[in-house]
Amino acid sequence: MNGVVEMQIWQFSLVYLLLLVVLAVMKKCRINQTKLLVVASVRMTLQLVLAGLVLTYIFKNPHPVFTLLYLAAMTGFAIYRVLSKNKGINRRFQWVIALSIALSGIAIIVFFIRIVVGESLFNPQYVIPIAGMLMGNTMTGVTLGVKTFRESLNGQRPRIEALLNVGATPEKVLLPFVRQALETALLPTLNSMVGMGIVSLPGMMTGQILSGTLPTTAILYQIAIMIAICAAVCLSSFGALYFGYRTLYNERNQILLAGAGEGRT
Amino acid sequence: MNAILSASGLKFKNLIEYPPIEIPAGKATFITGESGSGKSTLLRLFNATASPSAGAILFQGRDLSGMNTVALRREVLLASQNVFLFDGTIRENFEQFYDYRDEKCPGEAEISGYLSLCCADFPPDARCETLSGGEKQRVFLAIHLSLSPKVLMLDEPTSALDEGTANRLFTQLKGHCAEKGITWIVVCHDQKLVEAYADDIIRLTRRAGA
Repeated sequence: MNGVVEMQIWQFSLVYLLLLVVLAVMKKCRINQTKLLVVASVRMTLQLVLAGLVLTYIFKNPHPVFTLLYLAAMTGFAIYRVLSKNKGINRRFQWVIALSIALSGIAIIVFFIRIVVGESLFNPQYVIPIAGMLMGNTMTGVTLGVKTFRESLNGQRPRIEALLNVGATPEKVLLPFVRQALETALLPTLNSMVGMGIVSLPGMMTGQILSGTLPTTAILYQIAIMIAICAAVCLSSFGALYFGYRTLYNERNQILLAGAGEGRT
Repeated sequence: MNAILSASGLKFKNLIEYPPIEIPAGKATFITGESGSGKSTLLRLFNATASPSAGAILFQGRDLSGMNTVALRREVLLASQNVFLFDGTIRENFEQFYDYRDEKCPGEAEISGYLSLCCADFPPDARCETLSGGEKQRVFLAIHLSLSPKVLMLDEPTSALDEGTANRLFTQLKGHCAEKGITWIVVCHDQKLVEAYADDIIRLTRRAGA
C-alpha cells in the first residue's frame, strides 16, 4: 500500500471551484442561501485549519492536559450546540442533557480506547479523532431527540390535557413521547449502519485507506466505531430524555410544558 | 347545604379573584360568565391541574393541597373543552383511556349504553377519525361518564351541538347523574340550557384590573 499523496496547496485550492458549481445551482434555482454557503465554507476552512494546527502541536507535545482540554472543549461545544438548538427548556432539563452527553460520551470513549483498542487514554492520536466522531454523532442524535420530544409535546396538548384530567399519572402520559423521541434520535445512526459499505464508505475508513492502512484493518476500526457511535447516541439520548422528562411535572402532578420550550422552535 | 366542593378566598395568578363557592352534592351546578372570568380555570383548580395563588379548596371537607392529585382527578373528573380522541375505533378509545388509568375496560354492552346516554348512537367499532366535531364531543363525554366519577365537570359540552341534541343530552345526563348520585358542574354559555337544567348557578364576573 502507498501512503497518501501530499496535496500541493494550489492543487488543493482547485477543490473550491466545486463551490462555484453549488453557487451557480443556487442562483439558477433562486435559493436564497448563498450567504450561508459562503459563511459555512469559510467557517469550515478556518475551523479545520485551526484544528490542524492545534492537533499538530498536541501530537508533537503529547501532554495529558492538552488531550483532556481538547476533550473538554469538544464536549462543551456539543452540549452548547444541543442547548442552542433547543432554547427555552427549563434549567434542570438543560443540566440533564449536559450530564447525559458528557457522562455517556466519556464512558464510551474510555471503554473504546482503553479496552477495545488498548491504548492510553491520553494518547491524543487516538482519543481526539475518536472522541470527535462520538461527540459529533451524539450531538446530532440528542438534538434530534430533544427537538422531536418538545415539538410532539407542544403539538399534542389536548391529548396531554385529556389524559391528565382522567387521572393518568404524568409518567404514563409522557413516556410514549420519550419512546418516540428516542426512536427518532437513533434512526439516522441505524440507517447509516444499514447502508454502510454498500452505499457509502465512511469517512474514517476512507481516511485510513487513503493513508495506507490495509482495508481489512480499516473495516475493523469502522465497525468498532459505528457500534460505539450507536451506543453513545443511544445512551446520551436515553439519559437526556428519560431523566429530562421528569423535570416537566411537579409534585402536584401538573405538567409544565413551558419548561419544554413552549412556543419556541 | 351539603357541599361536596367549596372554595374561599380563591385567586389565580392574581388575575382572577373568585367569590366564595359552594358546589352542592348530587346536584347540577352551572357556571356562567363572560370570557376571561375564569370559568375553565375554576374547573382546573378543582381537579388540581392548576394551583391557586391564594385561597383553599375543600373536596368532601378535605383540603385539596394535601391530597393525592391523581386520585382526586379520578373522582373529580374533567371533560375539557379540547376534545381529544385517539386514532382508531370508539372501543379502542375506551380501552386506551382505561389503560391510562390501569383499569379494566367495560364490555361492549356497557360501552353502547354510555354512547347512547350521550346521544352518540354509533357502533363501538366505528372509527373516530370519521366522526364530526359534535360526534367526537359526545363520544369523549361518553368515555368520561363511563369512568363513574363522584363529580363530573363539563367544559362547554354543547358547543358543537344543535339545540335539540343539546337538550336531549342534558335531559339524559340529568337523569343518569341523579340516579347515580353524581354531582355535575357545567360551564355553559347557553342561557336557555342553564335555566332549564341548573339546580344552582354560579355567575362569574371579570374583576376590574383583571
